[in-house]
Amino acid sequence: MTDADLQSAGHGRDAAAASKLRVRGLDFFYGATQTLRNIDMDVPERQVTAIIGPSGCGKSTLLRVFNRIYAIYPKQEARGEVLMDGENILDARYPLNRLRSKVGMVFQKPVPFPMSIYENIAYGIRHHERLAKAKMDARVEQALRQAVLWDEVKDKLKQSALSLSGGQQQRLCIARAVALKPDVLLLDEPTSALDPIATGRIEQLVEELKCDFTIVIVTHNMQQAARVSDQTAFMYMGELIEFGDTEKIFTKPDRKQTEDYITGRFG
Amino acid sequence: MPTTSEHILRSYDEELARLKGELARMGQLAVAQIEASMDVLERRDSRAAERVILNDEAVDQIEATVSHDVLLLLARRQPMARDLREVMAALRIASDIERVGDYAANVAKRSIALNQTAPIPPAANLPGLAEAAVELLRDVLQAYRDGDAELARQVWERDVELDALYTSLFRELLTYMMEDPRNITPSTHVLFMAKNIERIGDHATNIAENVWFLVNGTPLAEPRKKGDTTSTTTVLPESGTRP
Repeated sequence: MTDADLQSAGHGRDAAAASKLRVRGLDFFYGATQTLRNIDMDVPERQVTAIIGPSGCGKSTLLRVFNRIYAIYPKQEARGEVLMDGENILDARYPLNRLRSKVGMVFQKPVPFPMSIYENIAYGIRHHERLAKAKMDARVEQALRQAVLWDEVKDKLKQSALSLSGGQQQRLCIARAVALKPDVLLLDEPTSALDPIATGRIEQLVEELKCDFTIVIVTHNMQQAARVSDQTAFMYMGELIEFGDTEKIFTKPDRKQTEDYITGRFG
Repeated sequence: MPTTSEHILRSYDEELARLKGELARMGQLAVAQIEASMDVLERRDSRAAERVILNDEAVDQIEATVSHDVLLLLARRQPMARDLREVMAALRIASDIERVGDYAANVAKRSIALNQTAPIPPAANLPGLAEAAVELLRDVLQAYRDGDAELARQVWERDVELDALYTSLFRELLTYMMEDPRNITPSTHVLFMAKNIERIGDHATNIAENVWFLVNGTPLAEPRKKGDTTSTTTVLPESGTRP
């Protein structure tokens, strides 16, 4: 498919924003089972792209392809292309280490390391860079500020991260991801374990982070997708059914399957 | 794109159906109020006119019920896509029908004033004007009930005919007033009644626009023809009517 074909098919998004990720003809297999079928989509840079769809539709799988996290499991295979800044990240020659520093990921359940708040951030940075103490302190502070957590933890950086509340732990995980200065941030249901206030804080954070990062968020919460994203992709049974401006998807989607899902008519 | 399947939550369907039912009832009541206002005018029955005025309260009450139900629906369901347009349309259409009810009540009120003077011939044109307005209203309510965007668009275009009838009555009344200053009081009442009825047509076109948006998700964008030219019409005793 040419780019012009994709535009006319509604898969090429927003001419004004450059594409950070270009997915072309992506298939995914768990052993013999195919879970993604011929996905074409362009993820615009410095915008929030939401992926919605019923359980088992392939949305988390698609997200996991973007940082090749599936590679740690045997018998899982992605075919096709995912181009980031023109390079195919699925190519085995694309170094995983480089990919992971460019594409950060935050999971449904906050998973802080059992170490201090400070070390949670510094640990990942040390993996990629050697920094003097003062510079490391500055990087940790910057990451915690970006995750809007600094004011709450600045006086207890030596305390265990496990002492933080669920919402704070999730923002710490986001801080940990942004500390590596990635280009892309993947959020896999980042608020499904949080109360509405903690959820609101994360959503506010997403709004602020999109100035610096390209964000892809998988969510079961349709209102959340409508609130935080610029583009929304609706997936069903491994296929990308509809991808377009969030405003349009939630007010007048083109496809009946999308309409049925977002209005709660899915059988 | 029609969505015919039901919601997973049955109570959601029931709430939307209830909203539609309330609007249907409100619409029927508003139509009945317009017809009643013409009936009391023709019979010159001031006591019956009082009842028409009081009955407007029933229309207002349904509007309050619709507003309340929409509020609950938004809070409980956070509707999306067609459902969201359905809820938004219901709220707007209820407000239009409420205004129609006010106009019908106002016509009834002026008929009481008209009964204080001798009948004037131009008043005989009011029932025809009201009939045209009722026809628009009935059709647009049917379009809403059936989700018929094409019928809604036809109503939207047909309002120009009601406007033309009004303009013609306006000119007739101006001439009538010039003939004899004693005609001015009853003619002014008839003029306001006619204007109220003409406004009912405008609300029918508002409803039509909402039905169109509800069904298609896009606004009815083309500029609408206007047949009410009274705002630029003058009638001079020597030279007759000048547009």
